[in-house]
Amino acid sequence: MNRTEPDGPTQAAVDWVIRLDPSRSTQADRQAFTAWLAADPCHEAAWQRVSGLLQQPFSDLQNAETRHPGQLTAARRALNTPASPQRRRLLGGLSMLALGLGGTAAVNRIMPLNGLLADHHTATGTRKTVTLADGSRLILNARSAADIHFDNVRRLVQLYDGELLVQVAADPLRPFLVITDHGQVRALGTQFLVRRDSDRSLVSVLEHEVQLENEAGRQARLQSGQAVWFDNQGFQPAMNGLQTRASWANGYLEVQDEPLGNLIEALRPYYLGLLRISPAAAQIRTFGIFQLDDIQQTLCSLAETLPVRVSSYGPLLTMIEQA
Amino acid sequence: MSNTTDPNAILATLYRENHRWLRGWLNRQLQCPQDAADLTQDTFLRALYSRQLEEIQEPRAFLGTLARRLLCNFWRRRQLERSYLEALVLLPDNCVPSEEDIALVREAIEAIDQLLDGLPRRARRAFLLNRLDGLTQPEIAARLGISLATVERDLRRAYLHCLTYPEQP
Repeated sequence: MNRTEPDGPTQAAVDWVIRLDPSRSTQADRQAFTAWLAADPCHEAAWQRVSGLLQQPFSDLQNAETRHPGQLTAARRALNTPASPQRRRLLGGLSMLALGLGGTAAVNRIMPLNGLLADHHTATGTRKTVTLADGSRLILNARSAADIHFDNVRRLVQLYDGELLVQVAADPLRPFLVITDHGQVRALGTQFLVRRDSDRSLVSVLEHEVQLENEAGRQARLQSGQAVWFDNQGFQPAMNGLQTRASWANGYLEVQDEPLGNLIEALRPYYLGLLRISPAAAQIRTFGIFQLDDIQQTLCSLAETLPVRVSSYGPLLTMIEQA
Repeated sequence: MSNTTDPNAILATLYRENHRWLRGWLNRQLQCPQDAADLTQDTFLRALYSRQLEEIQEPRAFLGTLARRLLCNFWRRRQLERSYLEALVLLPDNCVPSEEDIALVREAIEAIDQLLDGLPRRARRAFLLNRLDGLTQPEIAARLGISLATVERDLRRAYLHCLTYPEQP
Protein backbone atom coordinates (compact mmCIF):
# COMPACT_ATOMS: atom_id res chain seq x y z
CA MET A 1 0.00 0.00 0.00
CA ASN A 2 2.81 2.42 -0.75
CA ARG A 3 2.22 5.61 -2.64
CA THR A 4 4.87 6.66 -5.08
CA GLU A 5 5.65 10.24 -6.02
CA PRO A 6 4.00 11.13 -9.37
CA ASP A 7 6.35 11.93 -12.22
CA GLY A 8 7.27 15.50 -13.27
CA PRO A 9 4.74 15.93 -16.11
CA THR A 10 1.93 14.65 -13.87
CA GLN A 11 2.84 17.15 -11.16
CA ALA A 12 2.95 19.89 -13.77
CA ALA A 13 -0.46 18.86 -15.08
CA VAL A 14 -1.88 19.12 -11.54
CA ASP A 15 -0.44 22.61 -11.30
CA TRP A 16 -2.21 23.47 -14.53
CA VAL A 17 -5.55 22.15 -13.29
CA ILE A 18 -5.22 24.45 -10.28
CA ARG A 19 -4.02 27.43 -12.27
CA LEU A 20 -6.76 27.14 -14.90
CA ASP A 21 -9.56 27.64 -12.37
CA PRO A 22 -12.17 29.70 -14.25
CA SER A 23 -12.23 32.33 -11.50
CA ARG A 24 -8.75 33.54 -12.24
CA SER A 25 -7.11 32.10 -15.34
CA THR A 26 -6.02 34.80 -17.79
CA GLN A 27 -5.54 34.75 -21.52
CA ALA A 28 -1.80 34.50 -20.86
CA ASP A 29 -2.33 31.43 -18.64
CA ARG A 30 -4.27 29.69 -21.34
CA GLN A 31 -1.64 30.47 -23.96
CA ALA A 32 1.12 29.22 -21.70
CA PHE A 33 -0.89 26.07 -21.07
CA THR A 34 -1.37 25.41 -24.79
CA ALA A 35 2.36 25.83 -25.30
CA TRP A 36 3.16 23.43 -22.46
CA LEU A 37 0.71 20.87 -23.83
CA ALA A 38 2.31 21.00 -27.32
CA ALA A 39 5.87 20.90 -26.02
CA ASP A 40 5.99 17.18 -25.33
CA PRO A 41 3.64 14.24 -26.07
CA CYS A 42 4.02 13.06 -22.49
CA HIS A 43 2.58 16.40 -21.32
CA GLU A 44 -0.61 15.66 -23.14
CA ALA A 45 -0.73 12.13 -21.70
CA ALA A 46 -0.21 13.56 -18.21
CA TRP A 47 -2.94 16.14 -18.78
CA GLN A 48 -5.37 13.41 -19.90
CA ARG A 49 -4.56 11.44 -16.78
CA VAL A 50 -5.10 14.39 -14.43
CA SER A 51 -8.11 16.04 -16.04
CA GLY A 52 -9.75 12.66 -16.66
CA LEU A 53 -9.42 11.65 -13.02
CA LEU A 54 -12.73 10.19 -11.84
CA GLN A 55 -14.38 11.61 -14.95
CA GLN A 56 -16.63 8.58 -15.33
CA PRO A 57 -18.12 8.45 -11.82
CA PHE A 58 -18.54 12.22 -11.67
CA SER A 59 -20.35 12.30 -14.98
CA ASP A 60 -22.47 9.28 -13.95
CA LEU A 61 -23.56 11.27 -10.90
CA GLN A 62 -24.30 14.36 -12.93
CA ASN A 63 -26.37 12.35 -15.42
CA ALA A 64 -28.30 10.69 -12.63
CA GLU A 65 -28.95 14.17 -11.23
CA THR A 66 -30.40 15.28 -14.56
CA ARG A 67 -32.78 12.32 -14.63
CA HIS A 68 -33.69 12.44 -10.93
CA PRO A 69 -32.95 15.73 -9.16
CA GLY A 70 -31.52 15.17 -5.70
CA GLN A 71 -29.01 12.46 -6.59
CA LEU A 72 -26.07 14.83 -6.32
CA THR A 73 -27.18 15.89 -2.86
CA ALA A 74 -27.57 12.27 -1.84
CA ALA A 75 -24.14 11.37 -3.23
CA ARG A 76 -22.51 14.36 -1.56
CA ARG A 77 -24.02 13.35 1.73
CA ALA A 78 -22.71 9.82 1.40
CA LEU A 79 -19.26 10.96 0.34
CA ASN A 80 -18.97 13.35 3.25
CA THR A 81 -19.66 10.55 5.72
CA PRO A 82 -16.53 10.27 7.80
CA ALA A 83 -15.10 6.79 8.10
CA SER A 84 -14.31 6.31 11.74
CA PRO A 85 -13.16 2.88 12.85
CA GLN A 86 -15.55 2.98 15.81
CA ARG A 87 -18.44 3.76 13.52
CA ARG A 88 -17.45 0.93 11.21
CA ARG A 89 -17.53 -1.46 14.12
CA LEU A 90 -20.86 -0.20 15.34
CA LEU A 91 -22.67 -0.18 12.05
CA GLY A 92 -23.37 -3.88 12.02
CA GLY A 93 -25.76 -3.86 14.94
CA LEU A 94 -26.92 -0.31 15.20
CA SER A 95 -28.26 0.42 11.78
CA MET A 96 -31.69 1.44 13.01
CA LEU A 97 -30.20 3.82 15.52
CA ALA A 98 -28.14 5.48 12.80
CA LEU A 99 -31.29 5.87 10.79
CA GLY A 100 -33.01 7.63 13.65
CA LEU A 101 -30.41 10.36 13.53
CA GLY A 102 -30.76 10.86 9.80
CA GLY A 103 -32.55 14.20 9.76
CA THR A 104 -35.94 15.79 10.09
CA ALA A 105 -37.69 14.06 7.23
CA ALA A 106 -36.34 10.66 8.19
CA VAL A 107 -37.45 11.27 11.75
CA ASN A 108 -40.82 12.26 10.39
CA ARG A 109 -41.21 8.88 8.78
CA ILE A 110 -40.53 7.17 12.04
CA MET A 111 -42.52 9.47 14.26
CA PRO A 112 -44.51 12.38 12.86
CA LEU A 113 -43.05 15.49 14.45
CA ASN A 114 -46.34 17.21 15.19
CA GLY A 115 -47.31 13.93 16.82
CA LEU A 116 -44.61 14.14 19.44
CA LEU A 117 -46.51 16.89 21.21
CA ALA A 118 -49.92 15.20 20.99
CA ASP A 119 -51.51 13.32 23.91
CA HIS A 120 -51.39 10.07 22.00
CA HIS A 121 -49.16 9.19 19.12
CA THR A 122 -47.89 6.10 17.39
CA ALA A 123 -44.62 5.46 15.65
CA THR A 124 -44.11 3.64 12.39
CA GLY A 125 -45.33 0.07 12.59
CA THR A 126 -47.17 0.34 15.92
CA ARG A 127 -50.81 0.71 16.90
CA LYS A 128 -52.18 1.88 20.19
CA THR A 129 -55.44 1.27 21.98
CA VAL A 130 -56.60 3.94 24.41
CA THR A 131 -59.53 3.60 26.78
CA LEU A 132 -60.93 7.05 27.49
CA ALA A 133 -62.35 8.33 30.77
CA ASP A 134 -65.93 7.69 29.64
CA GLY A 135 -65.21 4.10 28.58
CA SER A 136 -64.98 4.89 24.88
CA ARG A 137 -62.17 3.19 23.05
CA LEU A 138 -59.77 4.67 20.52
CA ILE A 139 -57.42 2.63 18.36
CA LEU A 140 -54.71 4.66 16.69
CA ASN A 141 -53.21 3.27 13.50
CA ALA A 142 -49.46 3.51 12.91
CA ARG A 143 -47.93 6.98 12.40
CA SER A 144 -50.92 8.75 13.90
CA ALA A 145 -51.38 11.47 16.48
CA ALA A 146 -54.39 12.73 18.42
CA ASP A 147 -55.27 14.93 21.39
CA ILE A 148 -58.09 14.18 23.81
CA HIS A 149 -60.08 17.09 25.29
CA PHE A 150 -62.91 16.02 27.59
CA ASP A 151 -64.91 18.51 29.62
CA ASN A 152 -68.42 18.87 31.05
CA VAL A 153 -70.10 19.77 27.78
CA ARG A 154 -68.36 17.64 25.19
CA ARG A 155 -65.87 14.87 24.44
CA LEU A 156 -63.44 16.02 21.79
CA VAL A 157 -60.75 14.06 19.95
CA GLN A 158 -58.50 16.08 17.67
CA LEU A 159 -56.82 13.97 14.97
CA TYR A 160 -53.61 15.57 13.70
CA ASP A 161 -52.23 12.79 11.61
CA GLY A 162 -53.02 9.28 10.51
CA GLU A 163 -56.07 7.28 11.33
CA LEU A 164 -58.15 6.21 14.27
CA LEU A 165 -61.02 3.87 14.97
CA VAL A 166 -63.41 4.89 17.70
CA GLN A 167 -65.99 2.97 19.65
CA VAL A 168 -68.12 5.46 21.48
CA ALA A 169 -69.63 4.85 24.91
CA ALA A 170 -73.08 6.33 25.34
CA ASP A 171 -73.33 9.68 27.14
CA PRO A 172 -76.54 11.59 26.36
CA LEU A 173 -75.22 14.82 27.90
CA ARG A 174 -71.89 15.16 26.13
CA PRO A 175 -71.52 14.75 22.37
CA PHE A 176 -68.49 12.85 21.11
CA LEU A 177 -66.62 14.69 18.34
CA VAL A 178 -63.64 13.79 16.20
CA ILE A 179 -62.11 16.89 14.61
CA THR A 180 -59.55 17.26 11.83
CA ASP A 181 -58.44 20.36 9.93
CA HIS A 182 -61.13 19.55 7.41
CA GLY A 183 -64.21 19.24 9.53
CA GLN A 184 -65.82 17.40 12.42
CA VAL A 185 -67.56 14.07 12.88
CA ARG A 186 -70.17 13.84 15.62
CA ALA A 187 -70.93 10.35 16.90
CA LEU A 188 -74.55 9.33 17.25
CA GLY A 189 -73.81 6.30 19.40
CA THR A 190 -71.52 4.29 17.17
CA GLN A 191 -68.33 2.89 15.76
CA PHE A 192 -66.51 4.72 12.99
CA LEU A 193 -63.08 5.51 11.68
CA VAL A 194 -61.54 8.84 10.75
CA ARG A 195 -58.44 9.31 8.69
CA ARG A 196 -56.60 12.54 8.08
CA ASP A 197 -54.61 12.94 4.87
CA SER A 198 -52.74 16.11 4.04
CA ASP A 199 -55.45 17.71 1.92
CA ARG A 200 -58.65 15.98 3.04
CA SER A 201 -60.09 13.64 5.65
CA LEU A 202 -62.17 10.49 5.50
CA VAL A 203 -64.93 9.20 7.72
CA SER A 204 -66.22 5.66 7.40
CA VAL A 205 -69.19 4.56 9.51
CA LEU A 206 -69.04 0.97 10.73
CA GLU A 207 -72.08 0.99 13.04
CA HIS A 208 -75.04 3.30 13.46
CA GLU A 209 -74.67 6.89 12.34
CA VAL A 210 -72.54 10.01 12.46
CA GLN A 211 -73.21 13.65 11.73
CA LEU A 212 -70.53 15.20 9.53
CA GLU A 213 -69.84 18.92 9.25
CA ASN A 214 -67.01 20.50 7.28
CA GLU A 215 -65.21 23.75 8.05
CA ALA A 216 -67.57 25.62 5.72
CA GLY A 217 -70.56 24.50 7.76
CA ARG A 218 -71.98 21.99 5.33
CA GLN A 219 -73.58 18.99 7.02
CA ALA A 220 -74.50 15.41 6.21
CA ARG A 221 -75.78 12.43 8.13
CA LEU A 222 -74.05 9.15 7.31
CA GLN A 223 -75.36 5.66 7.92
CA SER A 224 -73.53 2.47 8.69
CA GLY A 225 -71.57 1.34 5.63
CA GLN A 226 -71.21 4.85 4.22
CA ALA A 227 -67.88 6.58 3.80
CA VAL A 228 -67.14 10.14 2.73
CA TRP A 229 -64.06 12.23 1.99
CA PHE A 230 -64.43 15.75 3.31
CA ASP A 231 -62.54 19.02 3.07
CA ASN A 232 -63.41 22.72 3.15
CA GLN A 233 -64.91 22.49 -0.33
CA GLY A 234 -67.42 19.76 0.36
CA PHE A 235 -68.03 16.02 0.50
CA GLN A 236 -67.21 13.22 -1.85
CA PRO A 237 -68.39 9.63 -1.46
CA ALA A 238 -65.51 7.21 -0.83
CA MET A 239 -65.31 3.89 -2.65
CA ASN A 240 -65.78 0.93 -0.38
CA GLY A 241 -62.37 -0.67 0.02
CA LEU A 242 -59.22 -0.89 2.08
CA GLN A 243 -59.45 2.68 3.32
CA THR A 244 -63.00 2.42 4.54
CA ARG A 245 -62.45 -0.81 6.47
CA ALA A 246 -60.88 -1.12 9.88
CA SER A 247 -59.23 -4.55 9.79
CA TRP A 248 -55.90 -2.80 10.47
CA ALA A 249 -57.10 -2.45 14.06
CA ASN A 250 -56.75 -6.24 14.26
CA GLY A 251 -53.34 -6.28 12.63
CA TYR A 252 -54.13 -7.21 9.06
CA LEU A 253 -55.38 -5.78 5.80
CA GLU A 254 -57.97 -7.52 3.72
CA VAL A 255 -57.88 -6.70 0.04
CA GLN A 256 -60.62 -7.68 -2.38
CA ASP A 257 -59.85 -6.88 -5.98
CA GLU A 258 -58.11 -3.55 -5.49
CA PRO A 259 -55.08 -2.04 -7.19
CA LEU A 260 -51.82 -2.99 -5.48
CA GLY A 261 -51.11 0.72 -5.08
CA ASN A 262 -53.91 0.97 -2.49
CA LEU A 263 -52.41 -1.85 -0.45
CA ILE A 264 -48.98 -0.22 -0.56
CA GLU A 265 -50.49 3.09 0.63
CA ALA A 266 -51.97 1.29 3.60
CA LEU A 267 -48.64 -0.44 4.36
CA ARG A 268 -46.61 2.78 4.34
CA PRO A 269 -47.24 3.69 7.99
CA TYR A 270 -45.77 0.31 8.87
CA TYR A 271 -42.56 0.69 6.90
CA LEU A 272 -39.74 2.78 8.27
CA GLY A 273 -38.07 3.59 5.00
CA LEU A 274 -39.25 4.44 1.58
CA LEU A 275 -41.68 2.16 -0.24
CA ARG A 276 -41.72 2.78 -3.91
CA ILE A 277 -44.05 1.19 -6.43
CA SER A 278 -43.88 1.60 -10.18
CA PRO A 279 -47.04 2.95 -11.88
CA ALA A 280 -47.51 -0.36 -13.74
CA ALA A 281 -47.23 -2.44 -10.58
CA ALA A 282 -49.62 -0.10 -8.76
CA GLN A 283 -52.39 -1.10 -11.19
CA ILE A 284 -52.15 -4.86 -10.57
CA ARG A 285 -55.39 -6.23 -9.09
CA THR A 286 -54.82 -7.66 -5.66
CA PHE A 287 -56.66 -10.10 -3.40
CA GLY A 288 -55.73 -11.49 -0.03
CA ILE A 289 -55.01 -10.94 3.60
CA PHE A 290 -51.79 -9.20 4.54
CA GLN A 291 -50.27 -9.09 8.01
CA LEU A 292 -49.17 -5.68 9.28
CA ASP A 293 -46.87 -6.70 12.06
CA ASP A 294 -44.14 -8.34 10.00
CA ILE A 295 -43.95 -5.85 7.19
CA GLN A 296 -40.79 -7.29 5.65
CA GLN A 297 -42.43 -10.70 5.39
CA THR A 298 -45.59 -9.15 3.94
CA LEU A 299 -43.57 -7.36 1.29
CA CYS A 300 -41.76 -10.58 0.43
CA SER A 301 -45.05 -12.46 0.14
CA LEU A 302 -46.21 -9.99 -2.53
CA ALA A 303 -43.54 -11.32 -4.85
CA GLU A 304 -44.80 -14.88 -4.31
CA THR A 305 -48.43 -14.20 -5.06
CA LEU A 306 -48.33 -11.37 -7.60
CA PRO A 307 -46.44 -10.76 -10.83
CA VAL A 308 -44.11 -8.28 -9.15
CA ARG A 309 -40.46 -8.04 -8.26
CA VAL A 310 -39.68 -6.78 -4.76
CA SER A 311 -36.15 -5.45 -4.26
CA SER A 312 -35.01 -4.36 -0.82
CA TYR A 313 -32.03 -2.10 -0.27
CA GLY A 314 -31.43 -2.67 3.38
CA PRO A 315 -34.10 -1.53 5.81
CA LEU A 316 -34.49 1.84 4.13
CA LEU A 317 -35.79 1.33 0.68
CA THR A 318 -37.98 -1.25 -1.00
CA MET A 319 -39.03 -1.09 -4.63
CA ILE A 320 -41.93 -2.95 -6.15
CA GLU A 321 -41.99 -3.33 -9.89
CA GLN A 322 -43.94 -5.35 -12.40
CA ALA A 323 -42.13 -8.61 -13.05
CA MET B 1 2.43 -26.05 5.04
CA SER B 2 3.43 -28.54 2.37
CA ASN B 3 6.63 -27.93 0.48
CA THR B 4 5.09 -27.89 -3.01
CA THR B 5 5.38 -24.69 -5.06
CA ASP B 6 2.20 -25.17 -7.11
CA PRO B 7 0.04 -22.18 -6.09
CA ASN B 8 -3.16 -24.18 -6.38
CA ALA B 9 -1.86 -26.92 -4.11
CA ILE B 10 -0.61 -24.35 -1.61
CA LEU B 11 -3.96 -22.63 -1.70
CA ALA B 12 -5.81 -25.91 -1.27
CA THR B 13 -3.82 -26.65 1.88
CA LEU B 14 -4.23 -23.09 3.11
CA TYR B 15 -7.95 -23.34 2.52
CA ARG B 16 -8.38 -26.74 4.13
CA GLU B 17 -6.50 -25.78 7.25
CA ASN B 18 -7.86 -22.28 7.75
CA HIS B 19 -11.17 -21.60 6.08
CA ARG B 20 -13.28 -22.71 9.01
CA TRP B 21 -11.29 -20.55 11.39
CA LEU B 22 -11.44 -17.56 9.05
CA ARG B 23 -15.15 -17.87 8.45
CA GLY B 24 -15.74 -18.08 12.20
CA TRP B 25 -13.64 -14.98 12.80
CA LEU B 26 -15.42 -13.04 10.05
CA ASN B 27 -18.79 -14.18 11.28
CA ARG B 28 -18.01 -12.82 14.74
CA GLN B 29 -17.13 -9.48 13.17
CA LEU B 30 -20.09 -9.36 10.81
CA GLN B 31 -22.79 -11.28 12.68
CA CYS B 32 -23.99 -12.57 9.35
CA PRO B 33 -23.08 -16.04 8.03
CA GLN B 34 -23.72 -15.16 4.36
CA ASP B 35 -21.51 -12.07 4.40
CA ALA B 36 -18.88 -14.01 6.36
CA ALA B 37 -18.90 -16.79 3.76
CA ASP B 38 -18.56 -14.26 0.92
CA LEU B 39 -15.67 -12.45 2.55
CA THR B 40 -13.98 -15.77 3.34
CA GLN B 41 -14.04 -16.63 -0.36
CA ASP B 42 -12.78 -13.15 -1.25
CA THR B 43 -9.92 -13.49 1.22
CA PHE B 44 -8.75 -16.74 -0.33
CA LEU B 45 -9.05 -15.23 -3.80
CA ARG B 46 -6.85 -12.35 -2.69
CA ALA B 47 -4.42 -14.86 -1.22
CA LEU B 48 -4.27 -16.70 -4.55
CA TYR B 49 -3.42 -13.49 -6.40
CA SER B 50 -0.84 -12.37 -3.87
CA ARG B 51 2.67 -12.95 -5.02
CA GLN B 52 3.87 -14.16 -1.67
CA LEU B 53 1.77 -17.28 -1.52
CA GLU B 54 4.67 -19.72 -1.26
CA GLU B 55 6.54 -17.59 1.26
CA ILE B 56 3.83 -17.49 3.86
CA GLN B 57 5.19 -18.37 7.28
CA GLU B 58 2.20 -17.53 9.42
CA PRO B 59 -0.86 -18.39 7.34
CA ARG B 60 -3.37 -17.09 9.88
CA ALA B 61 -1.61 -13.77 10.34
CA PHE B 62 -1.43 -13.41 6.58
CA LEU B 63 -5.09 -14.34 6.00
CA GLY B 64 -6.11 -12.16 8.92
CA THR B 65 -4.41 -9.13 7.36
CA LEU B 66 -6.11 -9.70 4.02
CA ALA B 67 -9.46 -10.31 5.70
CA ARG B 68 -9.20 -7.20 7.88
CA ARG B 69 -8.58 -5.09 4.81
CA LEU B 70 -11.56 -6.61 3.01
CA LEU B 71 -13.67 -6.16 6.12
CA CYS B 72 -12.78 -2.47 6.28
CA ASN B 73 -13.76 -2.00 2.66
CA PHE B 74 -16.93 -3.95 3.22
CA TRP B 75 -17.94 -1.79 6.18
CA ARG B 76 -17.09 1.37 4.35
CA ARG B 77 -19.22 0.30 1.37
CA ARG B 78 -22.09 -0.44 3.71
CA GLN B 79 -21.69 2.89 5.42
CA LEU B 80 -21.69 4.70 2.07
CA GLU B 81 -24.69 2.74 0.92
CA ARG B 82 -26.54 3.54 4.11
CA SER B 83 -25.73 7.25 3.95
CA TYR B 84 -26.88 7.33 0.37
CA LEU B 85 -30.13 5.50 1.08
CA GLU B 86 -30.75 7.73 4.10
CA ALA B 87 -30.39 10.71 1.79
CA LEU B 88 -32.81 9.08 -0.65
CA VAL B 89 -35.37 8.74 2.11
CA LEU B 90 -35.20 12.49 2.55
CA LEU B 91 -36.17 13.10 -1.06
CA PRO B 92 -39.81 13.56 -2.00
CA ASP B 93 -41.39 10.29 -3.20
CA ASN B 94 -41.53 11.41 -6.82
CA CYS B 95 -37.79 12.06 -6.92
CA VAL B 96 -36.73 8.51 -6.15
CA PRO B 97 -34.57 7.22 -9.00
CA SER B 98 -34.92 4.01 -10.92
CA GLU B 99 -33.21 0.85 -9.76
CA GLU B 100 -30.62 1.24 -12.52
CA ASP B 101 -29.78 4.77 -11.44
CA ILE B 102 -29.48 3.72 -7.82
CA ALA B 103 -26.96 1.07 -8.86
CA LEU B 104 -25.10 3.59 -11.01
CA VAL B 105 -24.93 6.20 -8.28
CA ARG B 106 -23.81 3.66 -5.69
CA GLU B 107 -20.99 2.50 -7.93
CA ALA B 108 -19.94 6.08 -8.64
CA ILE B 109 -19.92 6.90 -4.92
CA GLU B 110 -17.80 3.83 -4.18
CA ALA B 111 -15.33 4.60 -6.96
CA ILE B 112 -14.87 8.19 -5.78
CA ASP B 113 -14.67 7.22 -2.13
CA GLN B 114 -12.11 4.53 -2.77
CA LEU B 115 -9.80 6.91 -4.55
CA LEU B 116 -10.19 9.58 -1.87
CA ASP B 117 -9.63 7.10 0.94
CA GLY B 118 -7.07 8.41 3.39
CA LEU B 119 -7.25 12.01 2.22
CA PRO B 120 -7.69 14.51 5.07
CA ARG B 121 -11.26 15.66 5.50
CA ARG B 122 -10.87 19.28 4.45
CA ALA B 123 -9.00 18.41 1.27
CA ARG B 124 -11.65 15.83 0.50
CA ARG B 125 -14.44 18.39 0.85
CA ALA B 126 -12.58 20.95 -1.23
CA PHE B 127 -12.02 18.40 -3.99
CA LEU B 128 -15.66 17.30 -3.99
CA LEU B 129 -16.91 20.89 -4.05
CA ASN B 130 -14.63 21.50 -7.01
CA ARG B 131 -15.30 18.38 -9.04
CA LEU B 132 -18.80 17.34 -7.98
CA ASP B 133 -20.39 20.76 -7.56
CA GLY B 134 -18.22 22.71 -10.00
CA LEU B 135 -17.34 25.43 -7.47
CA THR B 136 -14.40 27.71 -8.28
CA GLN B 137 -11.51 28.08 -5.85
CA PRO B 138 -12.74 31.39 -4.34
CA GLU B 139 -16.22 29.86 -3.89
CA ILE B 140 -14.71 26.89 -2.08
CA ALA B 141 -12.65 29.22 0.10
CA ALA B 142 -15.82 31.10 1.06
CA ARG B 143 -17.79 27.90 1.65
CA LEU B 144 -15.18 26.29 3.89
CA GLY B 145 -14.03 29.53 5.52
CA ILE B 146 -10.40 29.03 4.54
CA SER B 147 -7.93 31.07 2.51
CA LEU B 148 -7.54 30.77 -1.22
CA ALA B 149 -3.99 29.53 -0.75
CA THR B 150 -5.27 26.73 1.47
CA VAL B 151 -7.86 25.72 -1.12
CA GLU B 152 -5.13 25.55 -3.73
CA ARG B 153 -2.94 23.44 -1.49
CA ASP B 154 -5.85 21.14 -0.61
CA LEU B 155 -6.84 20.64 -4.24
CA ARG B 156 -3.28 19.91 -5.27
CA ARG B 157 -2.99 17.45 -2.44
CA ALA B 158 -6.26 15.75 -3.43
CA TYR B 159 -5.19 15.38 -7.06
CA LEU B 160 -1.81 13.96 -6.13
CA HIS B 161 -3.47 11.63 -3.64
CA CYS B 162 -5.78 10.22 -6.32
CA LEU B 163 -3.01 9.96 -8.89
CA THR B 164 -0.86 7.88 -6.59
CA TYR B 165 -3.61 5.46 -5.63
CA PRO B 166 -1.76 2.36 -4.46
CA GLU B 167 -2.20 -0.95 -6.26
CA GLN B 168 -4.15 -3.45 -4.17
CA PRO B 169 -2.37 -6.79 -3.67
